[in-house]
Amino acid sequence: MDNYTKFKLALGVVATIGLYTVLYRENRFYRFVEHVFLGLASGWALVTLWTETLKEKWWDRMVGVASANGDPGIPGYWAFILLLPIGLMGYFVFSRKHNWLSRIPIGIILGLWSGQQIQVWFNRYGPQMRDSMKPIFPTTTDSIFVPMPPVAPDGASPDQLANVAAETARISANVYPTEALTNLVYVFTLLAVLSYFLFSFEIKGKFLRGMTTSGRWLLMIGFGAIFGSTVMMRFTLLIDRMYFIWIEFLKQGILGG
Amino acid sequence: MSLGEKLMSIPKWVLYLILIVVASVPLFIKIPVPNTPLEPAIDLYGTLMNIPEGSTVLIASDWTKSTRGESNGHFDALMKILMRKKIKACIYSSGDPQAPQVARDAIGVLNMERKAKGLPPYQRWNDWITVGYFPNAEACANAIANNVRVAFGGKTDYTPEGTSRDVFQSPVLKDIRKVSDFKLMMVITASKTSNITIERVYGKGVDLAMMVTGVMGPESLPYYSSGQLKGLAVGLKGVYDLEQMLESGITPGMSAKWGTVPGFPGDSNIGNGTRYYPTLHFCLTLLILAVIVGNVGMALSRKKAA
Repeated sequence: MDNYTKFKLALGVVATIGLYTVLYRENRFYRFVEHVFLGLASGWALVTLWTETLKEKWWDRMVGVASANGDPGIPGYWAFILLLPIGLMGYFVFSRKHNWLSRIPIGIILGLWSGQQIQVWFNRYGPQMRDSMKPIFPTTTDSIFVPMPPVAPDGASPDQLANVAAETARISANVYPTEALTNLVYVFTLLAVLSYFLFSFEIKGKFLRGMTTSGRWLLMIGFGAIFGSTVMMRFTLLIDRMYFIWIEFLKQGILGG
Repeated sequence: MSLGEKLMSIPKWVLYLILIVVASVPLFIKIPVPNTPLEPAIDLYGTLMNIPEGSTVLIASDWTKSTRGESNGHFDALMKILMRKKIKACIYSSGDPQAPQVARDAIGVLNMERKAKGLPPYQRWNDWITVGYFPNAEACANAIANNVRVAFGGKTDYTPEGTSRDVFQSPVLKDIRKVSDFKLMMVITASKTSNITIERVYGKGVDLAMMVTGVMGPESLPYYSSGQLKGLAVGLKGVYDLEQMLESGITPGMSAKWGTVPGFPGDSNIGNGTRYYPTLHFCLTLLILAVIVGNVGMALSRKKAA
């Protein structure tokens, strides 16, 4: 590993340790590293916005690009200049007198965004609602568990392949008892959690009260699972930093292992 | 001070020190962890392995070094499959301005591994291209869903000779007219770009799959179970699942849907999943112990007070 790479790794280690010092308490070292990171990220974002977005998607289309290297040219289209004043109007949010101008680009964005929401909502939740309609009664008791479909042997004849396909189709068409039980748990959870959100009227009935209580408990279990997953991710990030310090920097970089 | 009070007042720095030791020492020891890949990851692997050679996939690479522990493992596993199966990739980012460069660097590291083994590199322009960063994820996903030629129009990338050329002249995108021409759209993300992609691109004729961080996992699973996603890898477990399948494939009895799918035994399949997964178990054990110690301490303190 060359010295320049080692130097870069060492800077990474210093930055990692600097950021972790906040666990002890707020300090100047942490503040310094934090500000270096913010400055670098902002500078990078600014350059990227121009080189990878504005130049290719706005400037080049406005002024045009000549044909070169076998690529077709892009004819310039003056109307792209109109995007500039619309965008700049957003900065009038800082002016007390003219801040109404900033509402024009914000309104355009909000209008475009709102117009998409019906399709967006249905794209996201429609298939989930459809999938919630699950069969809760078994259609066969041939097997308690869902059987594994047969695997066609290497060099199988067309008849063997057809038999395997037919058997696979038969298995997937049936609802087996364990599958039905899983679906029942799913449907009960769905209904219990939905009933928990019935806030419009007082819940007096024993059955409905039981459902809402179950819904609350099931929600808590769900939140616990989400929290557990989050904790695992945070641990993974810490482990990755430790791997960077001990293995990539110290073992492979400094000790050459 | 009673035992309960002592347990409750372990200094913060002692706990951090123990955590750092537990998160570091197992990294030096190879500990095999038995594993059964989860169904979403099996489906992801099966879907990827069934993409025909020479076709193109679209990758939304919305991760940076901040989630390197998980997302880099996802990205590496994905790219290893694409490289070995000679599948082309078009990469874009809408989650973070740093994301395109991070993806380019990660491919560079994998290419160095291939070079060391005497394999041809996965070549920029001919095998993969990056169309760069799009600052608004909603507008970007919408544009891709409606007209990919307009969405990526005017974007350039570098040929092996170092010339900047229009991306639609590259072998990767030359046959792409609409989003459904991609064999798969893969989102690797640590943010809500997964939701945005589902909202805008689902139902447009392209299969979707995702690799998300542990935090994103629970909210992404409904997409998989409702069939909106063809496959899903969640967090470090997802990385470990994929690395295991890269080595041994989908074996008989593992999946009713896929039967047997080959792996790449003996190839460089070890990545962040295999490296970090045992250590994660030690950290989780520490966490469970800390919760028990805290609760025992509290119970003893209350008993004494009563």
